Amino acid sequence: MDNKKFNRLIKKIIDTEEEEISCSVCFDLVSDYVDAELAGIEIKGVLRQVQQHLGQCRACYDEYETLRDFVKDEDSSQR
Amino acid sequence: MALSRTNQEWRQDLESTGDAQNAAIEELRDFLFRASLYTFQRNKADLANYSQEQINQLAEDCAQNALIAVLEHLPEFRGESKFTTWVYKFAVNISLTMARRERWKGVSLDDLMDEELEFRWQGGKGQNTNLDNMAVRREISDLIADTIRNDLTEKQRTVFKLIVFDEVPMDVIVERLNTNRNAVYKLLHDARQKLKLKLQSHGISIEDVVHLFQSEW
Repeated sequence: MDNKKFNRLIKKIIDTEEEEISCSVCFDLVSDYVDAELAGIEIKGVLRQVQQHLGQCRACYDEYETLRDFVKDEDSSQR
Repeated sequence: MALSRTNQEWRQDLESTGDAQNAAIEELRDFLFRASLYTFQRNKADLANYSQEQINQLAEDCAQNALIAVLEHLPEFRGESKFTTWVYKFAVNISLTMARRERWKGVSLDDLMDEELEFRWQGGKGQNTNLDNMAVRREISDLIADTIRNDLTEKQRTVFKLIVFDEVPMDVIVERLNTNRNAVYKLLHDARQKLKLKLQSHGISIEDVVHLFQSEW
């Protein structure tokens, strides 16, 4: 295992919490999270749990990132 | 374009009948198609064997599936986000899942699972690595290897290997092992918890690890 992969694994281990939300809950909330982030609203409450999940789950992170960038593009094309 | 209706108008029109509903569905289908196409364009490598025409067709199919999912889940829309952001996520989810599975179509997970999991950190210097740090890294690496070998269940070890070591996308594992994301995530979470507890039980604190690795995260 190379250094980069190893470091990534260590971070995930250290950031592990006893209770984490599931992928379904993350999916349910990710649109709220994206809109909050793009509006510059502080991420708190249940959205903090979304943020934590996104740090652990590559599949959900990729979806979040695509969604965020697409919404950003759409918003800027309306201006 | 996405501001053509308010959240309330979207729901109202989609839940109505006749022309208003048809117009809303057509507009929604167009939004979902764009989101799907955008997803595919970002992940072109996953669809390397597809022509643009085939990608467009795939985006049409995904938009249709996303439309069905949106209409099915419409009562769950809480209005906490923009309606359009809420619907786009269905298109992104369906399209990305399809793209990942397409890329891994010819790869046998059985072959990967048959391979012995040999966890070994190959070493290498980080930005703030000195000999003491190297020794702690080596110790952490050994503890991880020991936990993977002795403390993880077979299922935890399997998904851990496939996702962390082989970098197989979760949706490919879900499809091949006939399971769901929540179940795979739970296995990974339980495995991470065991690893974290093992480090802590050997006196390696979060602070130690952050101090050692932070500059490389």
